[in-house]
Amino acid sequence: MNSLKKSIAVFFLAFGCFGVAHAILPIEKLDSFKGAKGFLVQTKTLPMVDIEISTDAGDRYDPVGKSGLADMVAGLMNYGVKGDQGLLSEAQIADEIADLGANIGLSVSGERAILRIRSLSRKDLRERAVKLAAAMLSSPTYDVKILQREKQRTITSLLEAETKPEFVLERRFTKSVYGDYPLGNTPTVKTIAAVSANDLMQFHKQFYRSDRMIVSIVGDVDRVQANEIMQTLLQKIPQSGAPIAKLPELQRSPVEPLAQREIQIPFDSQQAHIAMGMTAVTRSNPDYFPLLVGNYILGGGGFVSRLMTEVREKRGLAYSVFSYFAPGKDTGIFQAGLQTKGDQATTALEVMNSTIARFIADGPTPSELIAAKSNLVNGYPLRIDNNRKLLDNVSSIAWNNLPLDTMEIWTKQVEAVTLEQVTAAFQKYLAMDRMRIVVLGAQNK
Amino acid sequence: MRSNLLRISFLILLFTQMSWAASGDSADTHEFTLNNGLKLIIREDHRAPTVAHMVWYRAGSMDEVNGRTGVAHVLEHMMFKGTHQVKAGEFSRLVAAVGGRENAFTSRDYTAYFQQVEKSKLDEVIRLEADRMSNLNFDDAEFLKEIQVVMEERRLRTEDNPGSLLNESLMATAYMSSPYRHPVIGWMNDLQNMKAADARDWYRSWYAPNNATVVISGDVDPRQILAVVEKYYGAIATHDLPVRKPQIEPPQKGVKQSQVKAPADSAQLSMAWKVPRLEPGKLDDPEPYALELLTAVLDGYDNARLNRKLVKQEKVINDVGVSYDMISRGPELFLISASMAKGRTVAQAQASIHKALDELKQKGILESELKRIKVRILSDQIYKRDSIFGQAMEIGTTEMAGFSWRDIDYILEKMQSITPEQVQAVAKKYLVDEGLTIAVLDPQTRKSEVSKGDR
Repeated sequence: MNSLKKSIAVFFLAFGCFGVAHAILPIEKLDSFKGAKGFLVQTKTLPMVDIEISTDAGDRYDPVGKSGLADMVAGLMNYGVKGDQGLLSEAQIADEIADLGANIGLSVSGERAILRIRSLSRKDLRERAVKLAAAMLSSPTYDVKILQREKQRTITSLLEAETKPEFVLERRFTKSVYGDYPLGNTPTVKTIAAVSANDLMQFHKQFYRSDRMIVSIVGDVDRVQANEIMQTLLQKIPQSGAPIAKLPELQRSPVEPLAQREIQIPFDSQQAHIAMGMTAVTRSNPDYFPLLVGNYILGGGGFVSRLMTEVREKRGLAYSVFSYFAPGKDTGIFQAGLQTKGDQATTALEVMNSTIARFIADGPTPSELIAAKSNLVNGYPLRIDNNRKLLDNVSSIAWNNLPLDTMEIWTKQVEAVTLEQVTAAFQKYLAMDRMRIVVLGAQNK
Repeated sequence: MRSNLLRISFLILLFTQMSWAASGDSADTHEFTLNNGLKLIIREDHRAPTVAHMVWYRAGSMDEVNGRTGVAHVLEHMMFKGTHQVKAGEFSRLVAAVGGRENAFTSRDYTAYFQQVEKSKLDEVIRLEADRMSNLNFDDAEFLKEIQVVMEERRLRTEDNPGSLLNESLMATAYMSSPYRHPVIGWMNDLQNMKAADARDWYRSWYAPNNATVVISGDVDPRQILAVVEKYYGAIATHDLPVRKPQIEPPQKGVKQSQVKAPADSAQLSMAWKVPRLEPGKLDDPEPYALELLTAVLDGYDNARLNRKLVKQEKVINDVGVSYDMISRGPELFLISASMAKGRTVAQAQASIHKALDELKQKGILESELKRIKVRILSDQIYKRDSIFGQAMEIGTTEMAGFSWRDIDYILEKMQSITPEQVQAVAKKYLVDEGLTIAVLDPQTRKSEVSKGDR
């Protein structure tokens, strides 16, 4: 079918002029309030609003021996608060959220704690949801009995997770890459058991301050309403507090002999699980785009990446195989992984290893680079085509201190990436003699 | 056209002020049937310049026969392995080149393929998808590699996943004759013995325009798209489909039990009752709606009954989930799944679940509980419109189960009319031992257990 082949050439030519037809919605900077920054994207077609409060209170601040504390500080916010009209129990909070037809969710990553509200934009409903979230952020009660119950539940879940191959692999890999950096220590039964209600109160007081918060809003509200939302959210939160000790620098994964970089974990499962990776870059690194484009080619691009081709398409060794960079405000990591029948672990690791090594050494081919840019540029509208995705973008831009026109210039930055830049960036940040490797459940034939 | 959402919102005091019903579902949704029997449904949504294109085949694992379980899903994998004109792997490269996201999925009821693209690329993916509706042509070598990939998928999702093993055992125990007893991915032995010819037979049997529904949602002009769909899909010949036997499950006559021993730390309990589903043409039957609402009363929000009583108050269960889906081609189960709290037994959990259900059966539910659930259903009607892919999914699953997309609003409206008494009535009628199947995961220590707290 010649016409199909021809059409690719046409698309390759066409992508250069993409992005003019549809204006990308602008990000408005809100009035800063009590040291917090705020951002808004107005979308008027649906009567709903998504609101996010990011707090610089992620897992990396867990004290030694209390891994899991940051998770619990956020996770228990909806289990009791001191509100305007007195105490609200966990049942009252849950019922209020349900009655409003709203969602309020809490999650914690390595860097930040995130509270998200999704509400109908009608004033009375939205205001009640925002007030409730404000109380959760400023005045959680951390009831001792509820803490006891939730600690027990977390411990039970951890014990269950410790029987699962993917969890055991990930925990060991995390430790191997992060080493003594705080994120190397993941929660264990012991560290969860060590957490007290006082620890929660102290952590909350120390880190949940408005000068550590960013508010991002997407939806059916105007600038005035958005400023009001931000003020309501932060009204009762102290602006600043005692200084917080600087985190140690994440040291680059060192060059080491293979024996010291590779860990084998015996595990009685049908499949072996393999992880490989090392420290990499921040989101604001100027080489972010060469690495993004390069990783699309190596292991990020769905069914067409090199890892997918070598491991799955050519050899049938795995269902899932991938690589990614996870850059943040701080240095993030590069990670690749797959799962394969236990007696194929050695073969699969060799294929993964040689595929990554060859990519670092030689970089992509010109046609791979064109295909990657074509996908990323043509596909950009899919990254911003609803409120939730817009919020993800605004949130990332705000958190990582990126320019406010990041969404407008994104495709241009992808298009500007050259073959040499990709190769140079991969050689600069990745190295096979620095890769940490964890293999769980391999069976020797 | 007026929105049903506007009308039903009058039922809920909180929502009486709503005024966002500028365009109703029927005004922006269009249905066409091509001469070859292919149904096309277009949902216009002009918020962003993107489109979701999906083709749904009414052929899922429930249409398989013994010895060939998993073939629907295997064929889904083989659909990426080449046609007469597009060589193996090329489909994905072409979709990637236009910036598309693509994948496919198989269920008991259907197999579906989709691409999401910027709107100017829609013609291209329609052409590719139409091509593989009738021109699939993979070779045996591709099959032999891909069947290994599918077995890896089964190892990943099922063999090394005790929860999946438990669910597989539950389904195979609950159903004696219904093909719902077989896992979608197929039994491992059937996969080991599957031949390329089995996949080709499946394709020739079921992949026809008269067994397919194309759903397109997003920033499109329906007239223009109809012409493109006519051009590519319209040329494909109709053929007769195999006869589908009803395979109705005989009535259950008492409690069934099954046990799975697998590596885990806590025991898990699944309790599943045979319950009715919504039948096409009988949209006024209150029971399926009442069962949906019962699901939410038990588990629809953080303070719903089971979480409040069993997890928070009695602390007998660590996590609980309730599921029921009234929209399906095959028989339905009302399923309660629970993992034990530390030191608690399956017997204790079962007793607590029974106690909570008995209380509901005897005392009924509060009007306020039901109202809370109904508000959630209403607000979800707004939230779901944020995703054009989600809208295409809802239309596709509804159509595959034998309903029309036009029924979606009626179903939601009907849901708002259900009373607490009707919810209580279905609990009394169906959550009884005659139709109950219990499956228990009995946790085993792994031979190679790593020490606790190991990192």
